[in-house]
Amino acid sequence: MRAALSTLDPAQVAVDDEMAARQKLAGAVFETLTVLNDSGEPRPWLAVSWTHDIARKRWIFHARPHVTFHDGTAWEPPKGVITMDDRRPIEEILRTLAKPESAIVSRSPDGTLLGTGPYRIAQWQAKKSLVLEAYEGYWNGRPYIDRAEVQFGRPLRDQGLDMELGKSDVIEIALSDVRREQQRGAVVRTSAAIDVLTLLFEAPRPDTDQLRQALALSVDRKAIQSVLLQREGEASGALLPQWLSGYAFLFPSARNLGLARQMALPGKTLTFAYDRQNPLIRSIAERIALNVGEAGITLKPSFAGPVDLRLATLRIVSANPETALADLASMLKAPMPTIPPGTDTSALFETERALIQSRQIVPVIHMPVAYRLSPSVHGWPEDGWMRADRWRLEDVWIGEKDTP
Amino acid sequence: VTFRTKLFFVSSLTVAGAVALVTGAVSISARRSFDRMDETRRQGLIREFQRQLRAQGEDLEGAVHRAATSDPVLRIAIEADRPNPDFGAFLDEARAQAEAQALDFLDIVQQDLTVISSAHSPARFGYQTGWLVSPEDLAAGKTFLTRISLTEGNAVALAGAVPVSAGSRKIYVAGAKRLDASFLKSLGAAPGARAMLWLASGELFDTTGPLPAPAKLDAVLDELKRTGKESAGTIRWTVDPASAEAVMALPLQHGSTLLGALLVGTSLHDQVSLERSILWTGLLVGGSGILLGALIGWWTTARVTRPVARLVSGVQAVAGGDWGARVPVSSDDEFGQLASAFNHMTEQLVEQRDRTVQAERVAAWRELARRLAHELKNPLFPLQITVENLQRAHNQREFDEVFRESTATLLAELQNLKLIIGRFSDFAKMPRPEMETIDINALVKETVRLYDPQFHANGRPKIEPALDLAPVDTAVPGDPLLLSRALGNLILNAMDAMPEGGTLRFRTERLDHYIRIEVADSGQGLTGEECARLFTPYYTTKRHGTGLGLAIVQSVISDHGGRISVSSAPGCGAVFTIDLPIRSNS
Repeated sequence: MRAALSTLDPAQVAVDDEMAARQKLAGAVFETLTVLNDSGEPRPWLAVSWTHDIARKRWIFHARPHVTFHDGTAWEPPKGVITMDDRRPIEEILRTLAKPESAIVSRSPDGTLLGTGPYRIAQWQAKKSLVLEAYEGYWNGRPYIDRAEVQFGRPLRDQGLDMELGKSDVIEIALSDVRREQQRGAVVRTSAAIDVLTLLFEAPRPDTDQLRQALALSVDRKAIQSVLLQREGEASGALLPQWLSGYAFLFPSARNLGLARQMALPGKTLTFAYDRQNPLIRSIAERIALNVGEAGITLKPSFAGPVDLRLATLRIVSANPETALADLASMLKAPMPTIPPGTDTSALFETERALIQSRQIVPVIHMPVAYRLSPSVHGWPEDGWMRADRWRLEDVWIGEKDTP
Repeated sequence: VTFRTKLFFVSSLTVAGAVALVTGAVSISARRSFDRMDETRRQGLIREFQRQLRAQGEDLEGAVHRAATSDPVLRIAIEADRPNPDFGAFLDEARAQAEAQALDFLDIVQQDLTVISSAHSPARFGYQTGWLVSPEDLAAGKTFLTRISLTEGNAVALAGAVPVSAGSRKIYVAGAKRLDASFLKSLGAAPGARAMLWLASGELFDTTGPLPAPAKLDAVLDELKRTGKESAGTIRWTVDPASAEAVMALPLQHGSTLLGALLVGTSLHDQVSLERSILWTGLLVGGSGILLGALIGWWTTARVTRPVARLVSGVQAVAGGDWGARVPVSSDDEFGQLASAFNHMTEQLVEQRDRTVQAERVAAWRELARRLAHELKNPLFPLQITVENLQRAHNQREFDEVFRESTATLLAELQNLKLIIGRFSDFAKMPRPEMETIDINALVKETVRLYDPQFHANGRPKIEPALDLAPVDTAVPGDPLLLSRALGNLILNAMDAMPEGGTLRFRTERLDHYIRIEVADSGQGLTGEECARLFTPYYTTKRHGTGLGLAIVQSVISDHGGRISVSSAPGCGAVFTIDLPIRSNS
């Protein structure tokens, strides 16, 4: 993978690519009390059931029996239960418990991280590689693959070469390459659009709202989606993707250069930062700069120190729109009222619109995540958003190599 | 400074100058030769670089042509010929072609230069290409220099463009190689030469590593920017002259737009080393030459000036009164002739002096005889008359009375004769001065006081003495009696010159080495001839004078080591000036 992981500890804070990469891998090693299914609904996992007191202020989770850490020690909560005092609705508590940072983690005397998942860490080199070995004592049955090696910090180009040379079974590919790879007959898996590419104003200014609107009107999202992303992803002015919220189309995304020019402040120059190591993101950023330049606003790339504007990728980590929006608000460090599950869609729409305006952000496009698989890889989920968020290596098995 | 020393210095300077001249000439000649060689070498390097550049251009043309004739580009050309072309699927074709042909930049553009696909800037699709390109560049099919806009700034590149057509519409494939350090290295480098690339954006590339002081290229680059043509200069990178480098800058232009410059530098280390070697050799040879020249000059000048020194000694001897001095004649050259002439001249001078002394002696005797005859004749005539009167009165009654008168007359005239003889005797017996320190001012005052009764004697016009004495120390060594007598003679002489009376002025003055005494009368004055002969013994302008008074004055002054002179003009009186030395000459 392209990201360079410095730790697998789910409790450690990480940003952008590293966080996403850690979430993909952590599920193979660490487990949570609950998990979310493909519909985003919480299901029991290490906690097999839960009850509450009369006031519904205390929750008692019953631990799954026969669960052991990777060093063979048993995971045995006192009296087989975990008690939590939490007044939130149980759905919200369960979603919180399903988050990777809520995973059950132990440390061996030598500091090695120990989980209860199907794979144990056999070898760890920060920012270089990770070797996972099947954990024979896994409570849910031994996984198919004996050993899996993950290399970090590999550019997409090198990953492609590895795949061509038969050194890899799964690689990341750029969205712009999806169509070409498919045309070549390669096995490509794309997720639902779970990454939100967004322009963020780093510091509020008196003219930010006017600039935000000018930027939103001047960016040609359609051209970015159709050409740079090769028709992958969705051009959108919303934070939550259409597949998740159902109302994303209500947010305007069409380009209106004339209006943008009217709203823009001629000669305005904004310092602009983006992930220049990612070729696709860099191309999109350059395209945005060209688009915005037509409206009279200059975006000047700057990669050191504070900047006016940043092109950031926000990851949707829940298939539940309320939870996803709350997580996005959290990522944006914006105040966000609690949105109980089942909230009215129109209220959610207003909440999202308020978040966009208050945080001064310009959603640009929703992007899926794409992988290319070796033909011998079997069991990789065909569809659904989870396969991008968490690799279910325990379901994958490697068949006979196809004869070229 | 002696003539010998001067001659020595002149000869030494001549040798040193000649050596310096030769060293300088050799150094300048060597430098010019090196400059010519360096210029030739630099031109050769530039031609080589230009050849390499052309070769790179040909390679580039081939690469762009191969890209233009590839199947994907053909498909783009076909798409472009459709009514509503959709180029979205060809986004990566430029990058693929650029990688395949090892090009830094590759744009596939429509006829109006709208980007279909860009290798270095995929996001630019649908926008005008960021290349500095003209229709002529596209039509010529030749390589050209261009400037390409990038996100991080501008790049300068060697570019080529090839049109592709699958129908009525053309598209262009434009490929380029960036002019940077790697491009510079690909041009190759000659030993002792340095290739540098300067871009208008301010970037500077050097094949040998970072330049120690890039700002030193500013003068050459400023000249290039100003003229848009080749410029050259010599740059000394450090204080060491051996670090100097001759740099020539060739402009890299697109039309009239200056994009950068190729700089070719050749080290002047060898040239500077040789010039140093020449300089040190010159200094060594020059120093030796000067030393040798000095020795030879010393010996030569000694030989050349030896006759002159002898001549000088002879002249000094003659000047010192040795009229018999002679200079040995040791050669027949000019110095020998000069010595012979000197000897002949001294012989002539001795003869001339002897003749003059003889003539003066005869003239003096004649003058003495004349003066004696004149002086003695006057008393003798009364003596004769008196004796004759005595003879006639011998038999007369009044004889006694005549006898008394005659004897009285005889005695008076004999006394007169005695006085005359006494004056001559005094002059002959002028005593030597007895020196003591005397105050001239006091002497003048005392002498004037002695003659004061005569200035105001009854029966003659009055003479008024006027004293203007210096208010300083006027002490000199001298004989007060003789000097007072000399001053008295001048006073008597002045009184004789002022029969109508007048003013007699006395003035004293202290000079550097003398005390000056001036005695000025207001009489009739003297002619120039009289002034010239005034101090000659027995010369007088007065009827009854002996001509010894002023001669005695001159003798006294001369015996004191001083000098006396007279200046006068008819009707303006006469001024006698005496200068007495403050220190004794003896």
